[in-house]
Amino acid sequence: MTLDRNRNFSIVAHIDHGKSTLADRLLALTGTMDAKKAVDQVLDSMDLERERGITIKAHTVRLLYRAKDGQEYTLNLIDTPGHVDFSYEVSRALAACEGALLIVDAAQGIEAQTLANFYLASDAGLTIIPVINKIDLPAADVEGTREQITETLDLDGTEALTISAKHGTGVPEVLEAIVARIPPPQGDPDAPLKALVFDSYYDSYQGVVIYVRLFEGRIRAGTRILLMSNGRTYDVQQVGVFTPGMKEVEQLDAGQVGYITASIKRVADAKVGETITEALRPTAEPFPGYRDAKPMVFAGLYPIEDTQYEGLRDALEKLRLNDPAFSYEPETSLALGYGFRCGFLGMLHMEIVQERLEREFDLALIVTAPSVQYRVLTTAGAVLDIDNPAKLPTPDKIEQMEEPYVRASVFVPTEYMTSIYKLAQDKRGEHRALEYLGKRVHIRFDFPLAEIVVDFYDKLKSISKGYASFDYEFADFRPSDLVKLDILLNGDPVDALSVIVHRDLAYEKGKSLVEKLRGVIPRQLFEVAIQAAIGSRVIARETVKAMGKNVTAKCYGGDITRKRKLLERQKEGKKRMKQVGKVEVPQEAFLTVLRS
Amino acid sequence: MSFGPRSLAADDVLAGARPATRALGLYLHVPFCAYRCHYCAFNTAPLGDAAGTARFVAALRREIDGLGDLPWARDVMIATMFFGGGTPSTLAAGEIAAILDTVRARFTVAAAPEITVECNPESVDRARLEGYRAAGVSRISLGVQALDDAILATLGRRHGAREAADAFAACREAGVDNVSVDVMFGLPGLDLATWTRGVETILGWEPEHVSSYGLSLDPGSLWGATGIAGLPPEDTVVAQYRALAARAAAHGFEHYEISNHARPGRRSRHNLNYWRRGEYLAAGPGAAGFLGDLRYTNVKPLARYCALAEGGRLPVGEHEILTPRQALGERLILGLRTADGVPAAWLDERAAGEAALARRLDDWRARGLLLAAGDRARLSEEGFLLSDALFVELL
Repeated sequence: MTLDRNRNFSIVAHIDHGKSTLADRLLALTGTMDAKKAVDQVLDSMDLERERGITIKAHTVRLLYRAKDGQEYTLNLIDTPGHVDFSYEVSRALAACEGALLIVDAAQGIEAQTLANFYLASDAGLTIIPVINKIDLPAADVEGTREQITETLDLDGTEALTISAKHGTGVPEVLEAIVARIPPPQGDPDAPLKALVFDSYYDSYQGVVIYVRLFEGRIRAGTRILLMSNGRTYDVQQVGVFTPGMKEVEQLDAGQVGYITASIKRVADAKVGETITEALRPTAEPFPGYRDAKPMVFAGLYPIEDTQYEGLRDALEKLRLNDPAFSYEPETSLALGYGFRCGFLGMLHMEIVQERLEREFDLALIVTAPSVQYRVLTTAGAVLDIDNPAKLPTPDKIEQMEEPYVRASVFVPTEYMTSIYKLAQDKRGEHRALEYLGKRVHIRFDFPLAEIVVDFYDKLKSISKGYASFDYEFADFRPSDLVKLDILLNGDPVDALSVIVHRDLAYEKGKSLVEKLRGVIPRQLFEVAIQAAIGSRVIARETVKAMGKNVTAKCYGGDITRKRKLLERQKEGKKRMKQVGKVEVPQEAFLTVLRS
Repeated sequence: MSFGPRSLAADDVLAGARPATRALGLYLHVPFCAYRCHYCAFNTAPLGDAAGTARFVAALRREIDGLGDLPWARDVMIATMFFGGGTPSTLAAGEIAAILDTVRARFTVAAAPEITVECNPESVDRARLEGYRAAGVSRISLGVQALDDAILATLGRRHGAREAADAFAACREAGVDNVSVDVMFGLPGLDLATWTRGVETILGWEPEHVSSYGLSLDPGSLWGATGIAGLPPEDTVVAQYRALAARAAAHGFEHYEISNHARPGRRSRHNLNYWRRGEYLAAGPGAAGFLGDLRYTNVKPLARYCALAEGGRLPVGEHEILTPRQALGERLILGLRTADGVPAAWLDERAAGEAALARRLDDWRARGLLLAAGDRARLSEEGFLLSDALFVELL
């Protein structure tokens, strides 16, 4: 097999523009999957991925394609995660390719993630083939979409392929274009090994399975490899390719894509972006751009039952084996007892981890309000990274505080501009640029990350009737006038409900917060006072009246089962409650904090 | 009339049940109502012609026959019977007598059984009540509900305060010496003064027993679907509950269960059996029974019920087998409804190894909601009012 007949490519798109559908078509058309056996969206293999309709992990599959020139080509499709939380992983998967199919929905046009993905692919130096999908839709505007591609992206819209992945229209031409337009990989198989890790996962039998793209050299079972970021060495056990199942091969050569196993115990030891070389004949330089995935959003995870603490610790350890992008360390809350402060790439990542803990490990959890990481300069001259509002030093010890900002892109039809600007203002956004694209605008804002982590996207979607799209990347830390808002229940501060907010918004936030909490905290045997305070100054108060009656004053004709089932349903609801002091606080209360 | 073995085999559920005690209750459900009250979520059927009633009575008697054929039927004794509804007083005395005759023919019935019939004021007169009494009925439960004609109309009831008083008098004239009066509080438009006047009037009749039910908007009722305006605030509802307890106590009644007050020796034996988690048979559409670790409910639609019984089948619909843990939970939440409470050891058993529940019980004790009485534990009057909050935890 010569490299001339190899192509490594990826498919990128805004969510719901048809990436997975096209991937399925390509698999079926190349006979990689028997059409009858093809499961819908075979590449999204985690339950959660299917349910949410997004790709979380990178996947790869080798397609064998006989082109019109009569030659058989090996096409490696490297699928990328489809969410802003995972943009670093996307960038590494793209770095393993020579080309990318950039899909644009003919009815929707270019969206925020289209642009973000275009930049990632462009930065990676890839050949980009624009593909206009969903041309079968009545609302499809192929010519308008071509114009957008030409105007907004630095691409020739007239060269875009037009397809309907759903019906298969134009898909054979996609395969031809991959062969014709994307260059074959280059690389000297005799040079020292240089391979890029673009994904990995833990398998309990084989240890970590590493997805690699070889740029130089070759690798086979027995090769002694060196991981350049951490200096660890291993003996390769097995090398193979994905068809889409794992298939062992004798060796992988420069330009090829496949997997290796080497009895590596933890995914954290072979992270995405890592450079693998030979231990005895190392390559000169690792790939640029390697970095540790950096958690951006932090939250406390606490078991509702104290007895599940050990179980939670074990579960976190197991999850982390497969997902080094999230971090955890033990923490103690006066209100919630023993738990863990966990760091996530973003809110989606946090929800995924939480769901997996609850589903796969059967844990009942309280998740505290998510927080970003603040940078605090103390009067003593120290710099602290604060990811838990409860740990913020008292105001007299703070010289200055900084908070993380992001650069955000919003695409929206012009008629919603005013509402978007209003939302941006509420969220402390700073306007950067405005560009008209026919009937739509592309607005750039800088936002404090804290303002967009929780419900920004939902609000954006709702005020634009679903038409706005949104993407962002981390920018920098900026000084900000921030204060800690404490919540007190019957006079006792509940550390897990504290939140850091901008001083100008503190009063309103406190007021809205106690109102929301009043709606969420159920009536108890006694009155519950809910107060919001900055330092010792109470700025808002609400009361949950004591329970007056809670009784079934009724004869139920001996139908005890009905009564018991009613109570059992209530009991299910109560499982989500945490006893804070004497007050029962439902899980919802902890998430109310940022949503108010 | 007898059941063939084949038809019985289809009803393994009851045949396989094993009553743990000899004395059982028997609940008989009479679904007919001339009209449906707006708050009612019970299994009712419109009162039709005489043929419809006759068909039901025949089906009910066939069901009792079928129960009598169960392998363990000869080993048990019926201690109490309760005709509930629906409106059982839509049945003529002869129909009640025929049903009771069937029970006596198929089961051993205890000496001096308590036999209660629920009656609506407008459907009884002295003659009918005398007939009931002659048939063996020992107790009448009279559905008065309210003594304000405007409120009665709001409830969708077709009697006034006058008919209620007359019906009570008719019970006495017929020689019924054990009469219970049902009243409802928390009704739309019912203020505390009106309620208290009504309570005094009823206590003035000198009934043996008063049951008071707080209005709840249940799914399945008209008001559960549409809602209803004018409900009194919670404070008023609580005050009404307390006012009845206080006045009834002053008249010598014991508040022996959350919703029930009785003169000494006049507690409802049939209902006490429920609260003590005793066993009982069920007959009639939608009737619920309890035997050993089995709880079951008959099918609800009247036509289906009749068809099954006529086909020689026991019309059992849903059933469940309780775990020992569920059984303990039930024992607690039923027993704590009564002033007798439960053995304190049961609470200890339930809370063993559950620190949170133990703390909750301590909190209830500290607040005076849960009281110790010798080796028993019971809820105070205040505890009664909040009882569901504890029962949720005890399940």
